Amino acid sequence: MTRFRTAMAGVAALALVATLSACGTTTGGGGSSTDAATEDISVEVGADLSGKRICFGFSGSETEFWAAGIKSISDSLEAANATVIEHNSNEDPNRQLEQVRDCITQGVDGIIVIPEDGSSANTIIKEANDADIPIGIFNRPPATEDGAAIVAVADNRDVAAQTTQYLADEAKKLGRKVQPLIMVGNLSDQNAVERRNGFYEVIDANPDLFLTPIEVQTNWDAATGQANLQAAVQANPDIDVLFTSSDFLFPQIQAVLEPLGKWKPVGEDGHVLMGGLDGDNRACGLIRDGYVDATGVQDLFYEASSLLEALGQAIADNESDPDETIVDPGFALTQSNFDEREKDMWGCVITPPSS
Amino acid sequence: MTAAPPVASSPAAPPPPGTTRPRRGAVLRRLFAGEGFVAILIVVYVVAMAPFAQGLLSERNALNVLSNFWPLAIIVIGQTFVLVLAGIDLAQSAIINLTNTVGALLVTQALEPSLFDKSALWGSVVGPDGGPLGGGGGIALAVVLMVVIGAVLGTVNGLLIARLKMPPFMVTLGTMLLFSAVAVWLTRSENVPNLPEAYIEIGQGRIWGAITVPAIIAVVLGVAAHFVLSKTPFGAWLYAAGTSRDTAIISGVPYRRVVVLAYALSGVFATIGGILYSTRLEAGRPTLADDLLLDVIGAAVIGGVSLFGGKGSVLGAALGALFFVVLSNSLNLLNLPFTVVFIVKGLVIVAAALLDVVRNRILGGTR
Repeated sequence: MTRFRTAMAGVAALALVATLSACGTTTGGGGSSTDAATEDISVEVGADLSGKRICFGFSGSETEFWAAGIKSISDSLEAANATVIEHNSNEDPNRQLEQVRDCITQGVDGIIVIPEDGSSANTIIKEANDADIPIGIFNRPPATEDGAAIVAVADNRDVAAQTTQYLADEAKKLGRKVQPLIMVGNLSDQNAVERRNGFYEVIDANPDLFLTPIEVQTNWDAATGQANLQAAVQANPDIDVLFTSSDFLFPQIQAVLEPLGKWKPVGEDGHVLMGGLDGDNRACGLIRDGYVDATGVQDLFYEASSLLEALGQAIADNESDPDETIVDPGFALTQSNFDEREKDMWGCVITPPSS
Repeated sequence: MTAAPPVASSPAAPPPPGTTRPRRGAVLRRLFAGEGFVAILIVVYVVAMAPFAQGLLSERNALNVLSNFWPLAIIVIGQTFVLVLAGIDLAQSAIINLTNTVGALLVTQALEPSLFDKSALWGSVVGPDGGPLGGGGGIALAVVLMVVIGAVLGTVNGLLIARLKMPPFMVTLGTMLLFSAVAVWLTRSENVPNLPEAYIEIGQGRIWGAITVPAIIAVVLGVAAHFVLSKTPFGAWLYAAGTSRDTAIISGVPYRRVVVLAYALSGVFATIGGILYSTRLEAGRPTLADDLLLDVIGAAVIGGVSLFGGKGSVLGAALGALFFVVLSNSLNLLNLPFTVVFIVKGLVIVAAALLDVVRNRILGGTR
């Protein structure tokens, strides 16, 4: 009997592990990202994809940008009458590779992938090329130019530089050298690399203004970012300028700065000049409320429509290996141009899907 | 050399003449306990799913399933050594993370300074031109080093469990965090790209049809593991120690040595399976196997390897891995939402654990 009770305890433990495993994943997978928001955020595909099957693989939807991008692509493909096969790999590149292979087994007509990182993008492109199926990569560029794919990506370096330049211009008004801090993304992701490059482009161009920047690793993980920022701010309490490589980290930044009396709106003593990148709903609200000075905006809808148009055309032309890079120039939404350009930022005009 | 296990199953008493019921019961029991059950389960499942999962029976899909199967089977076989011992190795995933990252750092042909110059190994072991073993025979040496590291990490687990009498669950839970953290620390969480073609061939090399390099590696390891478990004194000691630790020790089983060796083998098999996963993704990844553990233990239990120790076979473990791969593949082909896939896999694991309980109640000491 004791053995049986032990056994049942083991079963219960396994059940718990299995449940936690399922629940501990990002939400919004497999189409559930569309459940929270009923708003149609489809873009023009420019082709009728009736009878076509499109495989859409993404690695997770933990930020508003990804949630909105996933929803927009899904809505758009459905509006173009395509059958969409969605797969969420939950940030596991091995699983994403298996999912794309399974799509290829089903004979899909096209593949769209938001890869986990640049190197896994190359592996997946190779699979699609070998199977003669056109593939599009959304917003996360491959690590190398090997293979043929339609890649839609923001000019992350320039957008980050524009945002940091605004922070530099504001910092100059302080009339002293300032201490900058950058929250760096996962540097396996080319987006994170380019955003850091854009930040340093401005820092390096203003040696008389900036002290040596403090780098905080986030690996695109909110908990990691918050813990590392906490440690950095404790070690260097006099931070004047903070640039986060993604807007989704603003709640963590607030959680760290607020108890230290550094979460102040523009114009108040102790205000830390802050900039981000993505252009999400949270950043929109924080700029409107005066806490954030600027954010670099990726034009989510431009990227989605350009990618889908090019992929739709390739499918219509029976082209199996289209090779094209579509660059979204982006822009910086700032305290200065907010009134004129607010409506150009996707995060200010759509209801954020669940993320 | 062969040896009978000191604590072996007692054969069932012969049925009385003229009766068939006990014989039928024995056949059913054998079917339920052995690999036959999971083999039948796979066949029935595939036949039932084929009309709904498009392409399930296609040649291309069979090759996909096999390419997913070989690395998982190797890792599950490694886990079998410790499960038979009534232990568990939660650190397998972390050993994969650490060894595949170290291996990739050794053989990579180029590293971007802006990504890796903060690595603890930058300027000593690795630099802009990559690692020290990037070409020719260096790759063989790197693989040997990885396997040695895997064995050492497994040995550490075994020593902590055997010498300090610590619970396997807690030891391997702790080292899982530790080894994974070291992998992340070594690379600052970066993936290690630019692996040489010869290294990538380990995971992607194709000889003819379904005969691939991973297939050959898995079959060789599987046969070796089967031999060790069923034909050597070490195998017999494992079953004995897993069935009853105290009895085994009284019977002369070198318990501590057996435990250490079982965990070392688990580490070695995890490392080799990890190499296959890593090379097919063409990068070393410090988080490669973070989500793998549930599949490994679930597959082992479905394959008849008991969580209570003393029972299990290499063939059963491999079939369990095949069932898990087929399950995952078919759910993908059904285009089910990601959350549903997780729910189904979770339910299957729970069902497997229940099956283990039932098997134990019905079969008692039968292997």
